[in-house]
Amino acid sequence: MASADGGAYSYSLTVFSPSGKLVQIEHALAAVSQGTTSLGIKASNGIVIATEKKSSSILIDDSVIEKVAVVCPNIGIVYSGMGPDFRILVTRARKSAQSYWKIHGEYPPTKVLTQEIATIMQQATQSGGVRPYGVSLLVAGWDVTRGPSLYQVDPSGSFWAWKASAIGRNMINAKTFLEKRYNDDISLEDAIHTALLTLKEGFEGQMTEKTIEIGVITVPTQTELEAGKVEGTGRYKPTFRKLTEEEVRDYLAL
Amino acid sequence: MSIMEYNGGSVIAMVGKDCVAIASDLRLGVQSLSISSNFQKIFPVTDRIYVGLPGLASDVTTLHEQFRYRVNMYTIKEEREIEPQTFAQMVSSTLYERRFGPYFIEPVIAGMQRTPSGSYEPFIAATDLIGCLNFAKDFVVAGTASSELFGAAEGLWEPDLEAEDLFETISQTLLNAVDRDTFSGWGAVVHVMTKDKVITRTLKGRMD
Amino acid sequence: MNSLVSRFSTTGPIAELRKAKEVLGDDDEFSDAVWGSEAGFGSLANGVPKFSIPQVPDPSAFLRLHTDDHSDPSCRIKIKHGTTTLAFRFQGGVIVAVDSRASAGSYVASGTVKKVIEINPYLLGTMAGGAADCQYWETYLGIQCRLHELRNRERISVAAASKYLSNLVYSYKGMGLSMGTMICGWDKTGPAVFYVDSDGTRLKGDLFSVGSGSTFAYGVLDQGYRWDLTDEEAQELGRRSIYAAGHRDAYSGNTINLYHVKEDGWKFIGNYDVSKMHYEGPNGVGYGYDIRTEGRSSANPPATQ
Repeated sequence: MASADGGAYSYSLTVFSPSGKLVQIEHALAAVSQGTTSLGIKASNGIVIATEKKSSSILIDDSVIEKVAVVCPNIGIVYSGMGPDFRILVTRARKSAQSYWKIHGEYPPTKVLTQEIATIMQQATQSGGVRPYGVSLLVAGWDVTRGPSLYQVDPSGSFWAWKASAIGRNMINAKTFLEKRYNDDISLEDAIHTALLTLKEGFEGQMTEKTIEIGVITVPTQTELEAGKVEGTGRYKPTFRKLTEEEVRDYLAL
Repeated sequence: MSIMEYNGGSVIAMVGKDCVAIASDLRLGVQSLSISSNFQKIFPVTDRIYVGLPGLASDVTTLHEQFRYRVNMYTIKEEREIEPQTFAQMVSSTLYERRFGPYFIEPVIAGMQRTPSGSYEPFIAATDLIGCLNFAKDFVVAGTASSELFGAAEGLWEPDLEAEDLFETISQTLLNAVDRDTFSGWGAVVHVMTKDKVITRTLKGRMD
Repeated sequence: MNSLVSRFSTTGPIAELRKAKEVLGDDDEFSDAVWGSEAGFGSLANGVPKFSIPQVPDPSAFLRLHTDDHSDPSCRIKIKHGTTTLAFRFQGGVIVAVDSRASAGSYVASGTVKKVIEINPYLLGTMAGGAADCQYWETYLGIQCRLHELRNRERISVAAASKYLSNLVYSYKGMGLSMGTMICGWDKTGPAVFYVDSDGTRLKGDLFSVGSGSTFAYGVLDQGYRWDLTDEEAQELGRRSIYAAGHRDAYSGNTINLYHVKEDGWKFIGNYDVSKMHYEGPNGVGYGYDIRTEGRSSANPPATQ
């Protein structure tokens, strides 16, 4: 049965194999584990998500490649796996966040948005004429009820909350590394450095601000919360943001 | 014949110092014929939110059920109680879904909103029948006696009323306003909410 | 400048009006009717009073366009509607009872309206429909009744008075008068009640109720009415009937005015708050509250014997 092509049960992704597996989903996970490494660490006062950004050619202008995406002011995601699939999911997630805002007048809590993305990914495992998404995601967000939270979503549509996790090519090693380095009191600054150190393990080539992308959740202070909306903009200060190349360079230099 | 006046009824909400009050009359009529003197128009949404639904009586029931459904779904999905502000947004979007065939209800929302520091502050809001939100800092009114309620409230309301004084103010405002409206009255109910409790009182009103 | 131009121009609305006045021979800004000594009845010397009529091809259509009408509730001038009035004849005379609410649309314009018009010491008229129409024409009726008395050295009968009124309103039929009235009194024939309305209807009868709340009043009135009611029973029935209408009809209420007509003329019995009647009644037993709420909830357990 376990032939290289998945045998008869790989024709339709909605058909279980006798051993109880949906082989297309396993193939999707295989696609993920070939993708570049991404990781996320939850700190006491924030979250960092980071990924390596590798170009197949030096001729590619990598300044326009985006692997860490802002979904809404309080949530960002990073992926390992297939870039085009990720792009679709980012668009869907952003639309979901906006329609939530339209109904409730605020952006979704991290868990709700994660559920939405997970639902979209699950639907691709059960619908006709489609294939599962070839990505795993790390979702980092902050909301007033649960504070900072970090989720991982897999092609099957299952999701978990993590204190720290890694996905993609080096995930086994990276997770082992994180398990050694992680503690509950870690600060955001330390978490960023840990993230860079973890990526460095098994990084091929030079780690520069061009080959690294970092996004951070900064937990707002009590004063920031009570101050409410930022003057002039009419909006709350975003809690998720991507680090600029300059900031990444500075962290790498330390 | 206006559908908004078919059954009659009015609701008012007021802000006080660390408290909020919402009150309504109890009449249910069919145009000029008064049917019931215990028709509920104000409903609890959570422990900290009340919603008043003056307007067409059949839509009072329908919308109440609709809001209960949506709030329950929210509570289960988000694993948290809905806040007054969020509920008001939900009321608004629910009503606008029926922009071209509206529910004939003008909801009034009153509750205690959780602040970032963990305390509670009074919150009131009202919408028109297609969901245009009005966040007021003093009072909101709706229903067939709305003009009369505005007049009475402009005269009686003052800032930072304590719970007991707020009760007197909202009660007198309502009772006197509905006495000038043919479609409202027949008794009243008042809820006064502080951060940790709600006091509900039924008032005797003019019965004509 | 504009006003100057329009004043001396030969075209335009003001000029039209000026021409109309010349044609009518009416040079005064005001008619004689307004001068105080004649109290609005100044044109009576010429017999039936004259009214200035809108100078348009169809005056009554013009009036209908601008006044309250069932077909157009959004009109500019609202004539007050909504009332409950009743009168009935019985062994002890005539009971006349009315509410006191005046409503304009859904607004309660007044809660202290006198809907019983005291035509003279022996005649009462009730008011439903247009308040101004009832007040003016019933006052006018009073004048004519007095003139009748002076001319004939005897009081006018209720039948004659009511017929005078019905003929009068009939002559204005279709011009927008709105009245539903009961002319009540005591004459040689004994107690008498006549129903007269602006359609020209005139009915003799024992028992009438007029207005938006009349159905509710009839309900109580019919089940309690007998010819041989005592004075107290009859007054209570009138009061209780208006209460019922005030309670159930949104356009009726506030207070009850109760009159009793006997052989020696009418007597005002009293003014009663409808809400007070509901909770306490005329002598401590509420018409409505206790009997409806007692025993209905734990907050209001049944009274123990």
